[in-house]
Order: sequence, then C-alpha cells, then structure tokens
Amino acid sequence: MASETIVSFQHVSMQFPGVLANHDVSLDIRKGEVFALVGENGAGKSTLMNILYGMNTPTSGKVFIKDQEMKSFSPSEAISRGVGMVHQHFMLVPSFTVAQNIVLGREPKKSALYDFRKAKAITENLVEEYGLQVNAMDKVADISVGLQQRVEILKTLHRGADILILDEPTAVLTPQETEELFSVIRRIVQEKQMTIIIITHKLYEVMAISDRVGVMRGGKLVAVENTADVNERILASMMVGRDVLLGQLDRNDPDVTDNEPAIVIDDLHVADTRGLPAVRGLNLTLHRGEILGIAGIEGNGQSELIEAITGMRGYTKGSVTINGKSIAGMNAGQVRALGVAHVPEDRLATGVSPAADVTDNLIVGKEKLPRFSLFKTHLKKRAIRQYAREISEKFDIRGAGIDTTVGSLSGGNMQKVVVAREFSFETPVLVISQPTRGVDIGAMEAIHQLIMDKRNAGCAILLVSADLDELYRLSDRLLTIYEGRITGEFTPETIAKTEISYYMTGGQKEAEA
Amino acid sequence: MKNKNNLSYLLSLFIAVSAAFILGGVIMAVSGHDPIEGYTLMFQGALGTQRASANTLAKAATLCLTGLATAIAAHAGIFNVGGEGQLYLGAMASAIVGARLTGVSPWIAVPLCLLAAMLAGGLYAWIPGMLKVKMKVNEVITTIMLNSAAIYFCSFLANGPLKTAEKGVSAGTDSIDPAFMFDRIVRRSSLTESIFLAAVFALFVWYLMKKSSTGFQMKLTGQNERFAKYSGIKAGRLALWSMVASGAICGLVGMFEIFGLHGRFIESVSSEFYFDGMLVAMIMRYNPVGIILMSLFFGAMEIGGAAMELNANIPSSLIVIIQSIIIFFMAAEQGITAAIKARRANRKAARELQKGDAA
Repeated sequence: MASETIVSFQHVSMQFPGVLANHDVSLDIRKGEVFALVGENGAGKSTLMNILYGMNTPTSGKVFIKDQEMKSFSPSEAISRGVGMVHQHFMLVPSFTVAQNIVLGREPKKSALYDFRKAKAITENLVEEYGLQVNAMDKVADISVGLQQRVEILKTLHRGADILILDEPTAVLTPQETEELFSVIRRIVQEKQMTIIIITHKLYEVMAISDRVGVMRGGKLVAVENTADVNERILASMMVGRDVLLGQLDRNDPDVTDNEPAIVIDDLHVADTRGLPAVRGLNLTLHRGEILGIAGIEGNGQSELIEAITGMRGYTKGSVTINGKSIAGMNAGQVRALGVAHVPEDRLATGVSPAADVTDNLIVGKEKLPRFSLFKTHLKKRAIRQYAREISEKFDIRGAGIDTTVGSLSGGNMQKVVVAREFSFETPVLVISQPTRGVDIGAMEAIHQLIMDKRNAGCAILLVSADLDELYRLSDRLLTIYEGRITGEFTPETIAKTEISYYMTGGQKEAEA
Repeated sequence: MKNKNNLSYLLSLFIAVSAAFILGGVIMAVSGHDPIEGYTLMFQGALGTQRASANTLAKAATLCLTGLATAIAAHAGIFNVGGEGQLYLGAMASAIVGARLTGVSPWIAVPLCLLAAMLAGGLYAWIPGMLKVKMKVNEVITTIMLNSAAIYFCSFLANGPLKTAEKGVSAGTDSIDPAFMFDRIVRRSSLTESIFLAAVFALFVWYLMKKSSTGFQMKLTGQNERFAKYSGIKAGRLALWSMVASGAICGLVGMFEIFGLHGRFIESVSSEFYFDGMLVAMIMRYNPVGIILMSLFFGAMEIGGAAMELNANIPSSLIVIIQSIIIFFMAAEQGITAAIKARRANRKAARELQKGDAA
C-alpha cells in the first residue's frame, strides 16, 4: 500500500455562526487508501469534507491537495484538482438518461449540437473501465437508488476524480447493494489507485471496508487508527467519549402467543398522497409484550401503514382493530383514546412543534387532564412546568432547559422529547417509526433501552425502521414488507441480515403467506 | 430564555420607536418646523386635556380590538386580512336590527344588536375560513377580495334598498332608537360606554390565547398543523373557530362605531380601522398584552398627530411616516438581532481559538 500523502489538513478550523464545526483538525490522507471518517451527528465530518470539496472556506488553517495548497475554495477548484464528492442526496436529473447525467456540464458536441452517441460511448467506456455495471440509456428516474449512486460515482470519475468522497453512501442501500458498493470501492482502489474517503456512522462498515479510520467528536479529530488495530466497541466509545455498550438489553422472556392481540390488521389497503396504492392487502397481528419489527426498503408502504394505524390517514379497504375496536373513520385523537401512542418517522414535521418550547412539546395531549387544567379550560402553569421538569429529567433531555425551543435542540434530544411525551402516556400500544434516525449513539442506546422497558412491562410495540441493526436488536418477530405486502415472517435468531434483504426486495417465503 | 427573548424584543422595539421619533424630528426640522414644539403639541393633543385623553382611549380601544382580532386568527395559523369587510357587515347588521327594534327596552335590544353584529362578522369570516381549512385556499387572497365585496354590498344597501327617508343627512340607513346609544363618558369626546365592553372582550381574548387549554391547542395548530393533528387536536375545527371569532370581534367594532357615534349605518363607518389594528398586532407579534399596550401608544400618536396638524400646521402625515419607520425597523428586527448574535458568537469562538493556540 502506498503511503504517499495526497490530502493534508493542517490546523483547520471552521466557524459557523454559533457553532465551531471544526476545531484545529490536522489530518493526512494517503494515496490509495480507504479512509473512513466516523463520528456522531454534528461531530464535523461533513463540514471537514465540504472544505475539501471547496464548499466551505475554513476560518483558519491550510489544506493541501497533492502538495499544493488550496488558495481559493470552490467546488470547481476542487474538481480540477481531482476531488469528487457523492452527496447523501443525489444531484441527478431524473428525466435524463444515465449517459446524459454523466456528461452533464461537459457535454460532447458535434458542431454546435449535443452528441448523444458520443455521450453513450463515454458512459460505456467508463462502465467498462471501472466495472460499475449500469445501462447508459436508462432514464435515471426509472433505476434503483443503488444504481443512481453508481451514476453519481461515474459522474465524478468522468470529471477526472482520483480522490473520491462518499457521504453516508450506504444510508439508502440494501445490505446486498452495500456489499456490491464495497466490492466496487475495493476494485477502484486496487486497480486505479484511487483514494476513497467514506463518511459513515455505521461501525461495521468501517471495519469491513476501510484501511484507516479517523474519529471526530465535537468538531475535533480525536483519533486516527489503523482499522486493523481497533474494533467496533473501541470506535463507539471514542465517538461518544465514553463506553457505550451497544450490547445486551434487558429482555425478559415473554410468552406472547397466548396474550390477546393488541393490533389486528386484515387485508389492509391504503393509498398514498397521490392516490396510488401504497399498502396492498397487508395482514399482521401484534400481541402484548412483544416488539414486532417491520423491515423494508423505504417507500414500500411503511409510512402509509403507520399513518393508517394511527388515524392520520384513511384506508380504502380492509380492517384495523386495536384493542378489540375497529378504527374505521377515526382521527388521530380517537385512535389515541384507544390506548395508542405514536413516535412518528419525521420528528421535525410531525413529532414536535419546533417553534414551541420543551414544556409545550411535552405536555401536548395532556393539556386537558385534570392535573394540568381546571375544568379542562384553565391551564395550571405551575403544575405543567413541574411535570415538564420531571419528565425531562427522567428521560435525560440534555443541554436544554424546559423553556428552550425544541427547534434548537440536536436531533437526539429532539427525539428524546418525542419519546418522552409518547412513552409517558402510559398506553398499552406503541407504534414507533424510525426511533433513532439521525440520532447519536448515546441517545440511541437510551431510546433502545426505553423501548425494551416498555416491552418488558407488557406493551405491544410495532416498530418500523430502516436500520436493520436496530430491528435485530429489539424485535421479537420480524416481518419484511415489499410493495405494500408482507413477504415473510422471521425471528432475528433464524435469519441473517444478508438473507433478509432478499425478502425486502420482493422475494417470497415459500411456506408462509 | 423566553423572558430574555421578550426583553430583547422590547429593547429593539424601544430603539425602533426612539429612532422613528428622532427621524420624525429631523423631518420636521428640515421642513421648517420646530420638532420640540411639534412633539409637545402632539403630546398635549393626545393627553393634554380630559377630552384629548378620552379620544386617545377610544382610538386605542378600536385598535386593540381589531389587533386582537388579527391575533386570535393568526394564533391558529390563519392570517385574516378581511377584518374591514367583517367590520362593515357587523356595523350594517347591528344598524338594521337596531332600527327595527325601536321602542324595545335597550336591555333587550342592545344585546340583540351586539349578537347580530358578531354573527354577521363571524359568518363572513367563516367563508374564507372554511375555504382555507377544507380546500387549502389561500386566506389572504380570499379575505382581501371579500373586503371589497362586503364594503360595496353595504354601500349598495345604504344607498339603495335600506336608504333612509330622512332628509338632509348623508346617505345611510335609518337611525336607531337614541335610547340604544352608548352614552359618552367624556363630553364631546368619542369615548363611550362601549369601552367597558371592549375591555371585557380584550380580557377574554387574552385569557383564551394565553391561559386556556383551547388557546394552547390553537397555538400548536398555528405553529405546526400536522403536529397538532398527530397529537389528536382537532386542528381544522380550531382554526375555523378562531377565524370566526376574529370576524365576530371585527363585527363588534363595527357595532361600537354605530352605537357609539353615528347612530345609523353610514358609508364612512370605518377608515381602514382594521388595517391599523392589524399593523399593531404584527408589530407586537400577536402578543395580546403587547397589542393592548401598543394600541394605547398608536392611539395617542394618531390623536396627537391630528392636533399637531391643527395647531402647528405640521402635516399629520408625519405620524404615518413615524409609524412606517417603526414598522420598517421591527420588520428588520429579526434579521438584525440574528446578525448581532452571530457576530458575538464568532468573536467568542475566535477568542477561544486564540486561547487554545496559546496554551
């Protein structure tokens, strides 16, 4: 492996209004290595890479690319020095073909006209050279997310990149697609001497793909290690600055089959916002005392299913029975009255009022209880504040007084506000969607334990998550969902993560229906 | 945290008002008037005599009610620009009912007229409210359009089918029974007993918005409707009701004009009273207590400005200029405070960086 330095950060600091995003970061990245940059949300990984890609100008410090100092920071400058970046959200034109997207901005011309044939040829050459299979003439809108990512990578390669930054590349991929991406990364590193910097917070991926790993915490680079010298546990504790035991959760052994069902769904059909069928004939039964996990690629009807169960969206056909009562025609308030609490997938849009303070966000839904209002009318401000203080202490909502507006909290604390409110309704049924998305490891650990405590106390919990690790860690049973139908039922012990993705992408389990 | 925000807002407001008055003074000086004299006359004109104070108070009551009407709708997320039309219809409805009930005991008639005014204003606000809640039609557009519709409709009634047979008076409806009129509290001023009713309603709106569980639900609806629905709040119904309440209050203001001053519906019942109140509400960020206080201030300025024009020949448009400057500054306030905060944070960070380097 080459050890020549290709990128060098020297005492780089980046100051945003009110946030010191990078603090005195010095880092050398070697030619031909896969360098993983890990850290919690807000640790400064993306900021550092945005500096390298020229999107941010550092407040102080120097950046060298191939021994030359970056004087002015702009993406075009970075691209001309061979830096390419694939963002989390792809920057592709959906109505263009793969070839058109790849040559975008440097279109081949035949006299003044666009040379389609040349564009196709360029793309096919790239595909062959790098071994990234994709059909040049397909429309980007029609291809899968995994393929779109390949198009993004090919686009940067076409622009001559030999330093490639991948920002959370696996967040949108199935395990199989992730495996394919990794084999591509290995190949271009070995055969083309590319340098890859991969931003991630999935530690097993760090172990699987990287040569070296840098850990960021609170804007500082706290450690750079050879991947071979560390393990996931060490990395995790470096990220949060203490030992996190993403290990065993307290789990009592329930016998749920005899328990009465909390939610029974029979042949449910739900349309999405555009009126197209999203859930098509779905059946499931959730018992008390169990966590039923729903695994699926996003956009296969999970959101609509959850909205239908919680009364936020009507359904077109079938039935949903909660605690023995049909919820047909009910609104969210009526479903809640049946004993359902709901942690929604999009906390900022649905789960909180960002403009309101922590107190208001914690009390919502309880404001007419006799404890908090006289004759359901006069708010008892003192009792409310007292309660908010208790709850935020109990759920460890940190870095915020109860008068802080929720919109200014970090993702982890905001999610704790949602969880604290919903869990303190003390309902027998919990519907939980993406409980730890974009949340740092410390908060994730806390939220997982809270969910498990609810289960151990006998609650029925329906858990939807895009994070397979989370589902495996928490679920008693797992259902896979594909295009609005259940494609299989498993227990976490009996199926591997790689195998379950087969069912998440449309494979049917033979024996069951 | 919250109190700190409020304090910093009050400070900005104080700076904006002072700056506006200084600029107003400069304008007076440039146009050849003595600013000290001008402001003295203005102050005296607003508060110097009992009658002046009474007029100021009456003006403030109107601004306050219309401002609170804006605020209560805005609280639940609807921007009611249609208060002027609701005010006209309220005035008209109360005038019609008032004229029909001639001879009936005022104890029965006046409450009925009040009810008619609130019903008319409320129902008229219900239309854009319904369109907004059920069909997502932008309420700003519908309420502005409905303003014109209401004003012209009232004008048509006053000049056509309901035109009074009395001779020698301006066009308008029949007079109501003088027994129904609110008594003046101060002679030859426009302050009438309606001020007590206004105070009751203002208190009620304040309580509803700030102290009640319904107000809390309205606030959340206004902040994030999806969140409100998710939490089990009947967001649509609340928004609609707050719009109706807003319209009802506007109708009430119309009734106060008729039963306090004019005695019958005339076309000039309001000269954009609602829009003045709306500005007060917006400057005070829909805070009810703030609106009540700012109404007194704006009321004093308007009454004082008129006196200033009369006595020193300084055009009362100056008041409009001062008000506009205040509004301008307060609109810029958020951006300016954010910029100041960011600069402070930057400096602090730079200092800490230096400290770190030195160590």
